Amino acid sequence: MNKQLRRAGRVALLLCASALVSGCTVWSYDLGKPLSELDVPANHEQAQMGDVLARLGPPHRIAAGDSGYVMAWEYWLVSETSVGFSLGFMGADFLSMDWGDARVKGEYLLLTFDREHELVSSTVSEWDNDAGGGGAIQPLFGFVSVVDVDDLTERMPQHRWGAAALKPLPKAINNPSNPDLGQGGLQQRGTPTGTGQQSLE
Amino acid sequence: MPLRRSFALVSMLAVLGGCAQYENKRGVDITWQDDVMAGMSAGETTRKDVLTVLGPPSQVIALDDETALYYLYERSEGEGLILIVYNRMRIDTRYDRAVFFFDENDVLTDFATKTYAHDE
Repeated sequence: MNKQLRRAGRVALLLCASALVSGCTVWSYDLGKPLSELDVPANHEQAQMGDVLARLGPPHRIAAGDSGYVMAWEYWLVSETSVGFSLGFMGADFLSMDWGDARVKGEYLLLTFDREHELVSSTVSEWDNDAGGGGAIQPLFGFVSVVDVDDLTERMPQHRWGAAALKPLPKAINNPSNPDLGQGGLQQRGTPTGTGQQSLE
Repeated sequence: MPLRRSFALVSMLAVLGGCAQYENKRGVDITWQDDVMAGMSAGETTRKDVLTVLGPPSQVIALDDETALYYLYERSEGEGLILIVYNRMRIDTRYDRAVFFFDENDVLTDFATKTYAHDE
């Protein structure tokens, strides 16, 4: 009887230890409110900027261009899942195995207005995509992150508008071309910076 | 006995759970409540009036002689469950914002505001 109890205890200990050496972490980011709640103007609709703003509220992003204004409303749902295991049960106490995956779901409404504040175009896009991931076997600790969504969850660029004028050259003189500063168009979250206007820097 | 102690320790660690909560606020203070906005109207209110009431904006945009003032307050609230084996963190971000357009005479032409309640 005593022997059976010990065996049961060892099994329980093994199960608990197995559970402790692995872990699953889920991060979920909800940015904004779904655009389905908005009264989005049709592409051919003739409307004044004031009427559109009254229906949709202020845009999340706005920029002035040669032909007028461009405005964007957006909603993002980003989820990041990572699982880590210690390989100690295989005799390799110094190794850990990590796996990560990210998904991104979003809605984006882009409206353009001419210089007379009349609606010129209305475009809505929606997506539900795999945003990448990876796996790794690493020594002791997880030194390398196998999934990264920082560029999708960063703060809005309006917070950096004033500070942009104090950037070192050549970034400061390229401000008029920067799509984050309201005079050089718009860009979505996660847009690569190695091409286009930002490649000037 | 050592085995029992070890079992107790491991069991305790396995059932130990935690929680986390955080809040992050960035941007200009919200001063565009409905009662404040009731005093503003297109064709009458000037840029000086808006700046006096709302203060410096997050961003200024210019289109020739027109200007636009953009105000943004970003609030993130996060809640997390930490069970060691399974951990979950959810972060909700809301954007309170206001935008005002002025003509070449600095008179308000178009504007809109949006604020979210804390539980939205």
